[in-house]
Amino acid sequence: MADIVDIAVGAGSFQTLVAAVQAAGLVETLKSPGPFTVFAPNDDAFAKLPPGTVQTLVQNTPQLARILTFHVVPGKLMKADLEKVNSLTSVEGSTIPINTTDGFEVKNATVVAADIEADNGVIHVLDNVILMG
Amino acid sequence: MTTTLETPKTKLPPSTHEFADIIHRLEAGEAMLPDSPENLMQIIGIYKAYAVPMDFYWRDLLYIAERVFLEPLPFFKYFLPKEYLDLHNHYAGDDADLRIWRGKATAHPELLEFMEKGEVKRKLPKLLHHWWHDRVNMEFAEECMRVMLWHRNMYVPVNRFDPYLDSEEYIANADRAIKAYFKHNPLMMGMYKLFPDMFIEQVRQMSYYSNLGLFWEVMAPVFFEMSDLYDEGKLTSVPEAMNFLVNGIFAIAGRPIYHHVYIRGECYEIIPKSKGFTWLYEAALPYVEAVFYRTSPFRGTKSYNAQAKQVPDDQKDFHYGILYADVFPVGTAGIPPTLLMQDMLHFLPPYLVDYYKQYCRGDDDVLIQLGISFQRSMYCVTSAVIQALRAALLYPLDDPNPKHLQANREFFESQLDRFKRPEARLRNIQDPDYR
Repeated sequence: MADIVDIAVGAGSFQTLVAAVQAAGLVETLKSPGPFTVFAPNDDAFAKLPPGTVQTLVQNTPQLARILTFHVVPGKLMKADLEKVNSLTSVEGSTIPINTTDGFEVKNATVVAADIEADNGVIHVLDNVILMG
Repeated sequence: MTTTLETPKTKLPPSTHEFADIIHRLEAGEAMLPDSPENLMQIIGIYKAYAVPMDFYWRDLLYIAERVFLEPLPFFKYFLPKEYLDLHNHYAGDDADLRIWRGKATAHPELLEFMEKGEVKRKLPKLLHHWWHDRVNMEFAEECMRVMLWHRNMYVPVNRFDPYLDSEEYIANADRAIKAYFKHNPLMMGMYKLFPDMFIEQVRQMSYYSNLGLFWEVMAPVFFEMSDLYDEGKLTSVPEAMNFLVNGIFAIAGRPIYHHVYIRGECYEIIPKSKGFTWLYEAALPYVEAVFYRTSPFRGTKSYNAQAKQVPDDQKDFHYGILYADVFPVGTAGIPPTLLMQDMLHFLPPYLVDYYKQYCRGDDDVLIQLGISFQRSMYCVTSAVIQALRAALLYPLDDPNPKHLQANREFFESQLDRFKRPEARLRNIQDPDYR
């Protein structure tokens, strides 16, 4: 099986995310044994952000890394595991609300594909970039 | 997270909130300020008049944070050296990180002219302009900075800047800078040994100088660009103005907030960029909360009886910001917003000067009239902040899911609850005759 980064690269619909992860220097981390749960916004999710948003973040890697690590949780948490919790603490440190009572929502994003398993964790695909607060 | 705002297709029953009309307006992608050509003219004119002194404020705030630092007698802290007038704004000019304003990256020409000749329009020695108070009022900027320092813990835990100021890492960084700064000053070194906390607190204040300077460095080009777009006929309504601000907030959200000090040519990183502090979470949101909503009771204009609960027990309930200000009594010498009004008076676009002459007492109360236009313009900025937070943390206005629309509504209602108190000017700005 491939790791989280390889799966994202191979899927083709995470080009912005992959470029951001590379710019933030998080490739090594996401290739490490982990395991991690990654809430991965697809390219359409990034495209919804107003112009300039991604550019400013890519220019400032510590700030970019902070936003990206908000999308990562330690441990391999499948959808079935997430049904038992209301919130998670991200690697960034802020809380991510989880709602599985009505569909599968992660904060204000909807999971469009769940439980994509990798060697070192699992990916759930989001239709929005989620932000702290 | 789209900011192209459309009328929602899914409908909720009407809100029963006191400000239901305004909530419906927010839900339709508009602002708290009603859309009219007159309101648009006032707010854009004021943004331009605000941006010129702001171009001085951010430069001087950074100069003080980075160079003046702990100077015990900072007599010349408002005398901006050429190096800082020529400092390139990161969001204007050809070499911008992200070009928001199409103009120059160095100090604005109207600012340079005013600094040279002042209100008296005569080239006099700088000190004479200073003593005559014919200059940009940095005291206003410093008051905003102090308010941010004083109302600590805002937006914690997502705001990491403020808790960082109490961390051992920060204190160690500050200690290194203090020791370097006073290396050749045994008296101040002795004082530091006796009163270390006082010095650390001064450095915290310097960090807020840097925070506010970096915040305003972004806002000045945003306002200049809005003024230019309006002059070109490309910004034609209040919602368009608000949406320009919403997009700006997102575009710049990730800009680093840091505090560097330069001592004898060496850079001391008191708050390094690598901490990951951002413009949105560590500067913009605390700024809006501290300056637009809270601030502090103005000394000397009105007596507040704390025993009669005229001053809230809790700092988070303070309501002395521009969104609540009774501009008339506030328009008194020496009060910070009056200093800002005085600064804006020098840079009003001609259409706003003509407009103010038509109403009230003409020239005699331009300061009050422009103060009220400023209040309108800050209700537009606050609307942009509310819409940006809704877009970032909640749902699109045209979301088909009624639960999502209900969440948006509850958010808007909770925001407008803050304007229920009698001092709030939200009701007043609905009336075009409030001037």
